[in-house]
Amino acid sequence: MPKRIAIIDGIRTPICRAAGIFENVYADDLGAFAVKELLARASLPAKHIDELIFGNVCQPVSAPNIARIIALKAGLPNSLPAYTVQRNCGSGAESITTAADKILAGKAEVIIAGGTESMSNIPLLFNKRMTKLVSNLATARTSVQKLKVLLSFRPRYLKPVVGLIEGLTDPITGLIMGKTAEILAREFRISRDEQDDFSIASHARAIRAMHAGVFEDEICPLPVPPDYHSVQHSDDGPRENEKLTKLRSLRPYFDRRNGTVTVGNSCSISDGAAAILVMTEEKARELGLKPLGFLVDYAYAGLEPERMGLGPVYATARLLKQTNLNFEHIKLIELNEAFAAQVLANLKAFASDGFAVKYLNLSKKVGDIDPDVMNVNGGAIALGHPVGMTGTRLVLTLLKELQRRQEQFGLATMCIGGGQGGALLLEIA
Amino acid sequence: MDRAFDLNIDESGCARLVFDLPGAKVNKLTMRTLDEIEGIVDSLRGMTAVRALSIFSRKRDVFIAGADIDEIAGITDAQQGAEKAAYGQKIIDGIATLPFPTIAVINGACLGGGLELALACDYRIATDNVKTTIGLPEVTLGIIPGFGGTQRLPRLIGLKRSLPLILTGKPVDGRRALKCGLVDACVPNEFLEEKVADFVQGVLKGNGLHAHQQRQTHGLKNFLLERNAVGRGLFLYLAKKQIAKKVKSDYPAPYTAIDVIRRTYGLPLDKGLAIEAEEFGKLVSGEVSRNLIKLFYTREKMKKDRGVRQDISYPPLNAAGVLGAGVMGGGISWLFTKADIPVRLKDLDWHAIQRGFQTVSGIYAKLKKLRKFDAREINLRMHRLTGGIDYRGFSGLDFVLEAVVEDPAVKASVYSELEGVVSENAIIATNTSTLPISELGESLKHPERFIGMHFFNPANRMPLVEVIPGDRTAPETTAAVVDLAKRLGKTPIVVKSAPGFLVNRLLLPYLNEAFHLLSEDRTAQQIDKAIYEFGMPMGPLRLVDEIGIDVSYKAARILNKAYGSRMDPAPIFADIYETKSLTGKNGGKGIYLYGDGEKNLSPEFIEIYERHTATGERVEMPDSERTIRERLLLTMINEASRCLSEGIIESPDYLDMALIMGTGFPAFRGGLLRYADKIGIDKIIKTLQAFEQKYGMRFQPSEYLMELSRNQSEFYA
Repeated sequence: MPKRIAIIDGIRTPICRAAGIFENVYADDLGAFAVKELLARASLPAKHIDELIFGNVCQPVSAPNIARIIALKAGLPNSLPAYTVQRNCGSGAESITTAADKILAGKAEVIIAGGTESMSNIPLLFNKRMTKLVSNLATARTSVQKLKVLLSFRPRYLKPVVGLIEGLTDPITGLIMGKTAEILAREFRISRDEQDDFSIASHARAIRAMHAGVFEDEICPLPVPPDYHSVQHSDDGPRENEKLTKLRSLRPYFDRRNGTVTVGNSCSISDGAAAILVMTEEKARELGLKPLGFLVDYAYAGLEPERMGLGPVYATARLLKQTNLNFEHIKLIELNEAFAAQVLANLKAFASDGFAVKYLNLSKKVGDIDPDVMNVNGGAIALGHPVGMTGTRLVLTLLKELQRRQEQFGLATMCIGGGQGGALLLEIA
Repeated sequence: MDRAFDLNIDESGCARLVFDLPGAKVNKLTMRTLDEIEGIVDSLRGMTAVRALSIFSRKRDVFIAGADIDEIAGITDAQQGAEKAAYGQKIIDGIATLPFPTIAVINGACLGGGLELALACDYRIATDNVKTTIGLPEVTLGIIPGFGGTQRLPRLIGLKRSLPLILTGKPVDGRRALKCGLVDACVPNEFLEEKVADFVQGVLKGNGLHAHQQRQTHGLKNFLLERNAVGRGLFLYLAKKQIAKKVKSDYPAPYTAIDVIRRTYGLPLDKGLAIEAEEFGKLVSGEVSRNLIKLFYTREKMKKDRGVRQDISYPPLNAAGVLGAGVMGGGISWLFTKADIPVRLKDLDWHAIQRGFQTVSGIYAKLKKLRKFDAREINLRMHRLTGGIDYRGFSGLDFVLEAVVEDPAVKASVYSELEGVVSENAIIATNTSTLPISELGESLKHPERFIGMHFFNPANRMPLVEVIPGDRTAPETTAAVVDLAKRLGKTPIVVKSAPGFLVNRLLLPYLNEAFHLLSEDRTAQQIDKAIYEFGMPMGPLRLVDEIGIDVSYKAARILNKAYGSRMDPAPIFADIYETKSLTGKNGGKGIYLYGDGEKNLSPEFIEIYERHTATGERVEMPDSERTIRERLLLTMINEASRCLSEGIIESPDYLDMALIMGTGFPAFRGGLLRYADKIGIDKIIKTLQAFEQKYGMRFQPSEYLMELSRNQSEFYA
């Protein structure tokens, strides 16, 4: 990128397990909440904002172009344009990189970027047969015709299409995401025990961060609509004493007989939203705002859909090539934990000369990831993975942690369903 | 004088009458305009070429706003009233008997006499313009429709649909008017001309019958209730019972309206009209309607009142903060969300914030049940509310209302924090109910932006807001806050900063007097009944429970300190407060018991009561109810006269309106001071003096009263 982009501040809602505390809070409401709190924190009058861009994966039928709905619900003026971006699990990151591109192209100066997802509210759908019946019924004119249509009904017509499952299944390969993790576990020979150990560590790190108040820097407590019986202060995913024995007793979910991937060593399905404020460095100076940090550069890369979990290594390789930065300069990493197997596969791929030569067209490995600087406050396995929000959260968590550690460069990277990876290079002032 | 009507007849025989009252913003039916209508109708009757008449208004957003209130107010006796009504009826009936189809084209307000004129037409077309409101608001002025409204409306759309319009006075919009058959079409105002032309053509082609049929009521229920005498009787009886729940019989207009409809339904129109005119005459010359019409003028005056004399400009307030998420802070936050103004609620802990959110959403939940809001609207309005336990987001606010505990020290520290975070131009208002504003403002760096804005509990429902500038408050601040109060749907009244301001200063001695009465062997129920029947929404002791015993007692103490011995709390009041276990309605137990089952007196109260009455002076009062009322109301009148002389409030009509809005003082009585004038100043002084001898100094008539008496004057002189 020709210039780095200032990230002024960011905020997120707590992340809660789907069908739980945020069950009745829709993705647009979560997003609007995050935007309102971002505005309150940034102390920036709405007139300075040029656009709002939000990432969202399972775009609700009731909220087409959810970004615009978020903008208006958050009280931003009618004159402010807004649009939605979708790059699956990279959608939250996409909102930031799109904003950066737009700013660098001179089309905007100040943009609110964010991501939101309410996996609680992904609907069940009527299947094709039932849909056809309903549409036939609507076009039938006479009572006889109508009766005929009704008589064509069969009980199997009521079998729903589960939106969530459809969304998590890659249509090219027909594999549900968990199956792609199984493929990586086999390719990199990652055992069930290694995966479970990794998951326990993720929970432990998240719990430790929580107790230390680390997330208070990035979470705004949310009075829970629609009845406001409670205020949600923190993520409800991380578990104290995530016992090894309990984790080991879970049955593999995606390959019942020979598999290694369980719901315990995968990320959970959850609800949440995050928003950040981005602008040019000059604009920040002009407005007297002190940036939290900067987006230095970013890259997305594609790979085989069935190996989508390796996205981070592909994207990071590309990013480093673009920036001419040594991997050693990166002192902190957020690598999204879709599956423990997938994270561990990445660690191996990052560190493998053979992999680099074979797949990345490099002469040697991308770099050794020190597990001690990766996902230091836990990851999606503990916190949850509201797909559209995660990319934004990774950036936010990373910048706040860079600041705490006073390290310069950090990497936020994630695998993206459909066979992609995203990598964002961030730096603090 | 210029003519108000313009008549045009095109070559196809379609006549078009346009109403445009010269020199006025709205069209009104005056004696002059009625005369003019008569002339036009007479000439039209003779024109054989005319095939249809449509009546338009040239005023923006008004068809006809009604009869001229000044003329109504000028009616002196029942006979004159009846004659005026009969005259209007005759002219309007002239429209009804024209030999060709007539169409009223309603784009804007069509109220009272305006609707009665429209009802005399064969057809009515309304627009979906938001300003189109159609109704018969007469009962709200203490009268009934007098130009045929009680006759033509039930005949047109049946009892079931017409009674709510006549009895509540609430208007409907174009769409609902179409639904209930009041109009025959509801069209977009942008295409009004074309739609009216089409409609007239349709009528001329004989399609008009269709419209007539659509108005007809159908169905078994309709048959049972309206198409036979027994059902009608039952229906009217039930309607009357409904009214009795809401309106006391001292306020006769709705009762008369039902009675007129009962007596005239099924009679020939002319006989019905005669009865209507007669009853209209009785009401219009009565005291209640006179009082309500005077209040109407006060209200109109207040609508235009900007709170300051200077013509100043101020930026509108578009982002608000509320400090303190208690019941009051929550209720006020709700007002902001409803007005679509973003509001940030701050309190010390998240639990309080959560309760504040619940207060706001709870008010919406109730309104949702009443179908005033749907889920989508509530969701959007709840998004206007944000909250937190720090001052984040306050730098962008232009108005902050403080609703924390009534402690000057706490408030001062809050203001100093606040001034550190908000911009220099942001207005800081306090919702204190008793503390003087100038003193509270002393600690501020910018006292010119500091002001009192006193809402009444429950803030979402009580219409009054006392706006209290301190000595150093800038007029811009006052004007901006008055404007804000109006945007919040409230009636702001500017009062001077003195302990208790206006309403509480009058209310607390009145509540205190109720306790004095208690210790003299009157029962709580007896006291409350006497006042309830006078027309207050509830008796004083029930009101104390409603406000909360500690809140009322503490306020009484503050006033006591400020105004001296005349406001010494009654000993029984102090004892009840000291129990601490009796808190009022919120705690489930006060003077009365709350919660499930009967609302009886609480046992703790009975015990204190018995202790006091056993030792207290026993005074036999043969004429108890009257004495109760006199002691309570004269206490208020006496204090009100002091407020006037001290300039706490500008004028007696504002004082009366403040009490009506702030305490629910019965409007049909015209207000406290109008009621006082009716009793007579001399009689008030005599009674007060008698009370003074019997019960003590607190009844000593004020100097202001004495002066009124010396000058043979009254409050409304």
